[in-house]
Amino acid sequence: MKVKDLMIPIHDFLRPDVTLKEAVNLLHIARRDAEKQGVKGLPVLDDHYKLIGILSMRDILKAVYPSYMSMMNLGNFTWDGMLESLAKRAGAEKVAAHMSRDLWTVQENDSLMECVDLMIKHDIKRVPVLDQSGKVVGMIYERDVFNTITNAMFDDPPEGEK
Amino acid sequence: MTPDAAAAPHQIVMGWPFWIATCIFIGAYALIVSEKIHKTTVAICGAALMIVLGIVTQEEAFHSLDLGADWNVIFLLISMMVIINIMKPTGVFEYIAIRSAKVAKGEPFKIMAIFSVVTAVVSAFLDNVTTVLLIAPVTLLICQALELDVVPYLITEALASNIGGTATLIGDPPNIMIASKAQLDFMAFIYNLSPVIIVVLIAYIISIKFIFGKRLTVREELKERIMAMDEREAIKDPVLLKKSLIVLAVTILGFVLHGMLQLQPATIALFGAGLLLLVSGIKDPHQVLAEAEWSTLFFFIGLFIIIGGVVKVGLIKWMSLEVLKITQGNFFGTAMIVMWFSAFASAFIDNIPYVATMNPLIIDMAKQLWPNLSGTQLLHHPDLMPIWWSLALGACLGGNGTAIGASANVIVVGMAEKMGSPISFKKFMLYGMPLMIESVIICTLYVWLRYYVLNI
Repeated sequence: MKVKDLMIPIHDFLRPDVTLKEAVNLLHIARRDAEKQGVKGLPVLDDHYKLIGILSMRDILKAVYPSYMSMMNLGNFTWDGMLESLAKRAGAEKVAAHMSRDLWTVQENDSLMECVDLMIKHDIKRVPVLDQSGKVVGMIYERDVFNTITNAMFDDPPEGEK
Repeated sequence: MTPDAAAAPHQIVMGWPFWIATCIFIGAYALIVSEKIHKTTVAICGAALMIVLGIVTQEEAFHSLDLGADWNVIFLLISMMVIINIMKPTGVFEYIAIRSAKVAKGEPFKIMAIFSVVTAVVSAFLDNVTTVLLIAPVTLLICQALELDVVPYLITEALASNIGGTATLIGDPPNIMIASKAQLDFMAFIYNLSPVIIVVLIAYIISIKFIFGKRLTVREELKERIMAMDEREAIKDPVLLKKSLIVLAVTILGFVLHGMLQLQPATIALFGAGLLLLVSGIKDPHQVLAEAEWSTLFFFIGLFIIIGGVVKVGLIKWMSLEVLKITQGNFFGTAMIVMWFSAFASAFIDNIPYVATMNPLIIDMAKQLWPNLSGTQLLHHPDLMPIWWSLALGACLGGNGTAIGASANVIVVGMAEKMGSPISFKKFMLYGMPLMIESVIICTLYVWLRYYVLNI
């Protein structure tokens, strides 16, 4: 199986200059596949439809989490309502400031193992798929790779060799 | 001072090696100031060039006390970094900071004053940057809890760390470098610098009370957030904490006694680091060692070799002769020029390369003045001592002048930006420069009174 067989074509994407609040809205209503709604991350494209980042739930969590807390052990000294008030403030910030800019991509004809290699080495859950011209055409999700692995495990050997 | 000594040019041969070394030196410093290339990369390249072009031999660069890397400084820094890296996860620093905020009962100015004093005291024993990295995150949390502007707190802490760091041999890299070159011990710094730093700190607290005192207000109910914090929850590893505090106490006692024990400060620190690695039960020291600030350490090593090159070719001697021409044998005048020039130089350029250059310059100056003396007789000449202290005070306190004057300032400016409250260069200077000048005025009075009037 190749990347193009498993990827989910891109329906929605984000612009870098929208706010996190608008981005969260789009994450909620974006189509995951034919029947399901809601995604955990979306690619960010510029005016020329070039991929410049990915915004995931994790990035939004990080936008709310104060950077100083990662420097020391301060979790014990937080208060009720802190997260909510920081979230309110973060809602007005731009996607460009919080998206992940470290991009790891695959081509349509690459093998699935190449995706897994990227997912494990860079601790990512979704990999954008580019076509020959460098345009984003789809996404490979960890969940779908996992389903492929599951199928392979449970398939009967003769069937697997087909 | 004998005028003849100053007039005698001694043989400085201004041949190819002189100009090559001078070009490497000026080029390297210009690149460091421009920040176009990382300063550590510049220092390593400059050092390598000095050796490749034959200005200094590898033997001199690696092993000479006068021309090469000063391992006393490097090992002292590495060892202190190791001790802190082991202590950090115990939670002791979070404990101290939360406890301080509670002692202040959530009163905004009291928090600022207590945090400044704590920062200054911790900074006297640890590196300034480390201190700020340990205190500032808790400060930001406290400010968020009290809905206070973080900027005044971050600025006052950075300034306090530079003030506190000036008080001891191990508090600030310039002091470590001066101590090593001038062979001054820990107690000499305590005896000569700590008294004036205490006065500077008191004046500083009074000044920030005037500057910020009235502006800081907090709603009563927010103070509850602070009082509800239990600092004991910060202690993650009480056993390691106890061991660390004992080793730290032994190490500081070692510093106090190192002069008597005839041991260098680096030896004491290395012993402390080794002992803590042993008793902490850390199986693989790799992580602790990897977290040392290698970039800073290599910056030092590179600089030492670059300076060694210009010392060897006579550039520093030439500069010292020029300084002697200006000062005309007036020692008080020399001390004052050194202090004020150092203060303003350090406000705009890194005080580490500055002091690395000034050390051999002052030693060369002493050699011109007292050609018959050598060793500690020369380095500790009664007329020279106030100049060393003026260098230390000027170079350390000068860092407070601007946002780029000291590494601690750069760190807090970066933190403020991440918090969405950027501190402009102008804004930092508006607070930093007057407070820096105030501190240097106090030091001027102190040096004049202590060494030129009372002679104690």
